[in-house]
Amino acid sequence: MKKTYSIFRWELKKIFSNWHKTVTLFLLPAVLMMLALNIFPLLINYMSTGSFSKKPIILVGAPKSFHDYVNETADANVYTYKDLSYSEFNKFIEAEEKMKELLKGGTVICYFGSDDGDEDISFDDIVSDYYNELAKGNSEATSNAVIFLGHDGESLTGQLRAEQFRRGVLDNYQASLIDRLGGDYANIGSNLFSTDSFNPVTKFMDNRTPADRSASRIVPGMLLIMMYYCVYSLASDMFASEKERGFWAKLIMTPVSSVQIFAGKILAILLIVSGATYLTALLLFFSSWLNTSNDAMSLLPFGMMLTPSELLILIITIPFTVFVMTAACISTIFSLKKMQDITVNLQLPLIFFLGDFFIQMFRGTRPMTLEYFIPMHNSLALISETYMAQEKLWHVIVVLAINAAVAFLVLRVTFKKEGLYDKSK
Amino acid sequence: MIRVNDIHKSYTKTSETIKGVSFEIGKGTIFGLLGPNGAGKTTLMQIIATLMKPTSGTIEIAGMSPEKDLLKIHSLIGFLTTEIKLDPVSTPDDLFDFFADLYDIPKNEIKQRKEKAFNRFGITPFAKRKISELSTGMKQKISIAISLLHEPPIIIFDEPTNGLDILTSRQVTDYLKELKSEGRCIVLSTHIFSVAEELCDEVAILVDGMIVAQGTVDELIKMSGEKNFEDAFFKIYVENHKEEK
Repeated sequence: MKKTYSIFRWELKKIFSNWHKTVTLFLLPAVLMMLALNIFPLLINYMSTGSFSKKPIILVGAPKSFHDYVNETADANVYTYKDLSYSEFNKFIEAEEKMKELLKGGTVICYFGSDDGDEDISFDDIVSDYYNELAKGNSEATSNAVIFLGHDGESLTGQLRAEQFRRGVLDNYQASLIDRLGGDYANIGSNLFSTDSFNPVTKFMDNRTPADRSASRIVPGMLLIMMYYCVYSLASDMFASEKERGFWAKLIMTPVSSVQIFAGKILAILLIVSGATYLTALLLFFSSWLNTSNDAMSLLPFGMMLTPSELLILIITIPFTVFVMTAACISTIFSLKKMQDITVNLQLPLIFFLGDFFIQMFRGTRPMTLEYFIPMHNSLALISETYMAQEKLWHVIVVLAINAAVAFLVLRVTFKKEGLYDKSK
Repeated sequence: MIRVNDIHKSYTKTSETIKGVSFEIGKGTIFGLLGPNGAGKTTLMQIIATLMKPTSGTIEIAGMSPEKDLLKIHSLIGFLTTEIKLDPVSTPDDLFDFFADLYDIPKNEIKQRKEKAFNRFGITPFAKRKISELSTGMKQKISIAISLLHEPPIIIFDEPTNGLDILTSRQVTDYLKELKSEGRCIVLSTHIFSVAEELCDEVAILVDGMIVAQGTVDELIKMSGEKNFEDAFFKIYVENHKEEK
């Protein structure tokens, strides 16, 4: 045990006495991932809307209910609104060239009014009247309130932005009208309870669900890539480079058993990589909580949160995953002779983890039972389900047991293949 | 101290790198393995150092078998090779302390041994410098100091002067003589005749994985009928080397 600790301490000292290595392992991947997570949606946004900033929407005759909705809803705040009255809009139409230019640039016009063009009665009044009629029992009541979305049909930016605005804002706004303007009809036919929008718990729960849903798609894959990157860097340094340099021979010529040498190094990898992964997870958490804009395209929207038991699962799963990754790397290093082959073979699994990350990002289904039995990938499934609050105790037990068992098995086979004398005797 | 009995080693099913090698080395002896590149010197040295298992055959170190007493054997062996490159970001000081810890050297003795070894090789002024900043010769001297910090009675040295400048080579050969005079058993492999001639009490010539001649330098010269050791080696080599088909 003392010798294992000596080797463990030596490896930690080697890493932490070199600030290049420390930064490369701890900070760089975590920061790069956080940047990617925030820049990637911006680029997608730019490609689809032609703008990095908030998208402009021209509102014509926007009623009070819409302004109230925008003030209360984070999703609606990703646009900048320019309010025009009907008369101002008419003047705008007259300046035909200017309007065409704006529409061509992707500007969307949102017109609130009645379908008969009566500009004297407000949109809110039309909707209120309609609900009043329904409350009185007039089942044949109709509403001529309309919302027109105007955009240039030949502009892809305009089309996409209009569609985004319709889905992200107008649909929800229309659904909220019954509560805002329904009066008696809302009490009879719809909600018996009103939502206190200032209740922080309600607000948090509203945000948590979409944020954790996003996190379940993004975070597990990112953590796995991060873990493997660190494991392979450290295993290369602690085993492959030492073998190449001949330092490994010097080490195993000491009166310390191979098991103790491996244990000391593996423990150092477990500690360093788990630490780096916890740091990444923490930065991803901050990334979510700093993302108050809640852009519709955001990969990690505001409100990501785990309960203490879910957090515990994440904390326990990471070292077990690191263990099986380390065993796989050690096996690769000791089964190949040339440093070049070792490096290439150690990098190959990164492609697998990258593929796994993208599949997880776009797949619409929950993990199958079989997936919990595939080493390393099972951690992705478990972490994903944990973010969705769908984890089960047997998932946790199977994932930890499979990863630990496979790691021990791989290490045992590697020891046997190595042809070393069994120093543990 | 060392008994090697009919050692065979093959990496593939079709060819053998070591083909039935046997010899014994006593206390206070320098035993040299001489052979061209690819003769199997390094493989044999690694087998003697217990770094590698032979395919068949046995070795005994101080009467012990590696199968049973490996850790005890390791505390008796100092293994050195010029191929070993120390960790570039560590300092000689750190490396010495680390290995002293692994060899269970008492804390109060570590400082004393370090001072002695570092002064012997002129490492002291560089003790706190990173290995990557030091010259090849200095690295080799540090490697020797670290490999012998546990004062082993058996020293296995693969190509001791390979890649070293003449000054460092001289320091190394002088040190080996000093170790011999202390009664240690030294096995070294080399392809440099002058090193074998100057240092070795007994030389084994290894050709294609077999010991084809063994004895003192004088005995080998006499046996070959040549005038000097270099000519003797070439004659023995040509007589025994088989070209691969």
